[in-house]
Amino acid sequence: MGSSTGRSPRLLAIATAAVLAVGVSACSSSKSSTSSGSGSGKSGGSFSYWSMWRQDEPQAKVIQAAITQFTADTGIKVNVEWTGRDVAKKIGPAMAAGKAPDMWDEGADVIYGAAAQNGNAKDLSAVLGMTIPTDNEKVSDAIPSKYFDSLPKDPDGGQHWVIPYEASTAGVFYDSADPTVSAAMTSQPATWDDFIKVCDALKAKSEPCLASEGEDPWTNGLWFDYLVSAGGVNFNDLATDKTGASWDNPAVLKAAQQVEQLVKGGYIIPTYTATKYPAQQTNWAGGKAGFLMNGNWVTAEVAKQIPATWKYGFMLPPGATQPDSMVFGFALTKNAKNVSQAEQFMAYFLQKKTLSGISTVAGNLTPRTDIPAPAELADVQKTLNAPKLRLTFDGVAGDWTTKVWNQNYLDFWHGKIDAATFVAKMKSAQVSFWKSQS
Amino acid sequence: MSTATPVTLQDSSRTRRVRGGSASRPPVGAAPLERSRRRMFWAFTTPAVLIYVVLFLVPVGYAAWTSLYKWDGIGPKKWRGLKNYQTLWQDPIFRHSLTNTLKILFVGGILTFAFAFALMLILREMNRKLFARSVLFFPCLVNAMVFGIAAGVLFSPTGPVNKTLEALGWSHPPQWLATEHLQTMILGTLVWTATGYYTAILMAAVDQIPEYLYEAAELDGANAFQRFRHVTLPMCWDVISVCAVLWTVSSVKIFELILMYGGSSGSQPPSDSWNTAMYVYIEAFPTASTPQLGLATAAALVSLFLVVVFTVVLRRLLRRDPIEY
Repeated sequence: MGSSTGRSPRLLAIATAAVLAVGVSACSSSKSSTSSGSGSGKSGGSFSYWSMWRQDEPQAKVIQAAITQFTADTGIKVNVEWTGRDVAKKIGPAMAAGKAPDMWDEGADVIYGAAAQNGNAKDLSAVLGMTIPTDNEKVSDAIPSKYFDSLPKDPDGGQHWVIPYEASTAGVFYDSADPTVSAAMTSQPATWDDFIKVCDALKAKSEPCLASEGEDPWTNGLWFDYLVSAGGVNFNDLATDKTGASWDNPAVLKAAQQVEQLVKGGYIIPTYTATKYPAQQTNWAGGKAGFLMNGNWVTAEVAKQIPATWKYGFMLPPGATQPDSMVFGFALTKNAKNVSQAEQFMAYFLQKKTLSGISTVAGNLTPRTDIPAPAELADVQKTLNAPKLRLTFDGVAGDWTTKVWNQNYLDFWHGKIDAATFVAKMKSAQVSFWKSQS
Repeated sequence: MSTATPVTLQDSSRTRRVRGGSASRPPVGAAPLERSRRRMFWAFTTPAVLIYVVLFLVPVGYAAWTSLYKWDGIGPKKWRGLKNYQTLWQDPIFRHSLTNTLKILFVGGILTFAFAFALMLILREMNRKLFARSVLFFPCLVNAMVFGIAAGVLFSPTGPVNKTLEALGWSHPPQWLATEHLQTMILGTLVWTATGYYTAILMAAVDQIPEYLYEAAELDGANAFQRFRHVTLPMCWDVISVCAVLWTVSSVKIFELILMYGGSSGSQPPSDSWNTAMYVYIEAFPTASTPQLGLATAAALVSLFLVVVFTVVLRRLLRRDPIEY
């Protein structure tokens, strides 16, 4: 989207600002006169950045360390604000008011939904051609293209509106050292019926098969997403079908019936409908249930709760072949001014030594294949090595989730409606939703 | 309840007749006080009117204008005419949100005022009523956020509330935080916090009622309820009607309580618990999709319309001749 056009006036403005800043700091000795320190050979300037992480989160610590080093190395100052997850709500109004930062970060689904799908995120193709400092390889060589290929396209047809620094997938986690689980499951179940047998075996030992945050349609919906995908249905196609006819596909009903087995079989911790996050996740970490469906960040979230004997196992729901992919990364806002500085930081952060912190400090995965996963995520990284990735919920975005999916799925997950009713309700809600969108 | 209402300002039909029907324009040589008051009217009113127009009417006008477009707040606006209102009408979630708003308004209102009146009855006759009033008022000081967070701990299936109930012999205590109970929980918290607030206001009015009226009623053999019915209620009717309007306006705006009770881990509360304010919030500030400001402003205007209608109706219903004492 022409991020290179108008670069020279911008550089001129930055240079002028820098001269003024030096002049001002020379006049006043009171405030941080050292911070301007653009030494010889350093490009200088600054850019602003809103982060999805709160300051006390490990990812923020990794990024903050990189920022400090980046400023020391390049003289470019980063005005970072640890906004937390609210960044997704604030970024739109901030862009409208002309108060948005140059760069922000979030999950690719959020960046797409809040900005990229309407052309409010800059194209970052130029970053792919940049050389990562110290590693001397191009960004496009370090980050496998499959991550970009799986992303939806912006209005200009581009898929490079985010530069990923953290990769993740969702699936079923368990403690393979749990004697009840290992007795019930000698090897990972190959079919759905095998999985239900495992659940039955756990139930016989009075251990619920699943833990579930009952109020969350996202993590619980992953079951349906995977099962419907195993049946050959693309979730996004299902959701965007204005006629609703796709819901008549027998594969959809079959997936719903499989989910229903989990609910009606009494395999979920009985209190799941009446607690708030993270109560059930904590129950699972305390060994009160066998399996938990979630994104792989859950291992970092429960790291302090699990006993030392815990050994992670990971699998996709039986039948599912492609892992869900969710990346977290940097994006530029539509009217970002300090494009070159922010882009330099993106390439800088992808250095092997810098990015490794996401694995070693934050306990998560990176998109770089040469950075080893933390031990507990070794299986997950293997899953992500699949040649092709699919987006979680096949990239469904927008109001459909709020208006059609969330409440209907929760009603289904809470056992208030059966599989056939769920499918029928989804179909009719979807038809009226798309009618209202025209 | 003012004790000295100047007769000159009461523009009743009788005074108009005495003035020969020329009330709007004072005859030359009218009382100097009235003339100066009339001169001061615009001087004092203009700034207020200006501020009201700039800070209220203009934004409402702008919102009404926006409600006719499809707009994400950043890109260009796309004309939709009245289609946003049509979408609202057809959207089952909005209709449900509207029902919830009305439930909060009426069910919450009736419960709050029933409790507040009961407390008025008790507090007037009570020793140490100042202390009791402070205790009652306390929940009003606590931020709704605190309730949302505390509820997750207190009302969880293994939380202290259910533990207590089990100890008292209730083998299957309710699943307080289940989605289908969220609304009741929200309503309960709301009534609990609001009761103290309205009791405080009503008690301030009750305190103004001269003691001799109660003594006379007592001598006539009136019991506590009769004293409430024939002395307290009529004597503070004005304040009650103001409180009713306050409740109407504030109940339609409630949303932080819903957000905190229902939403966790950054997700939205289940749409079954939304009211219209929540609907506006979700449409204007979605977590992972484009804001729909046209639809959000349309929903906000429907809420505004509701408040106006209910306020006007309430004022008419509660209108009584003021009693002076």
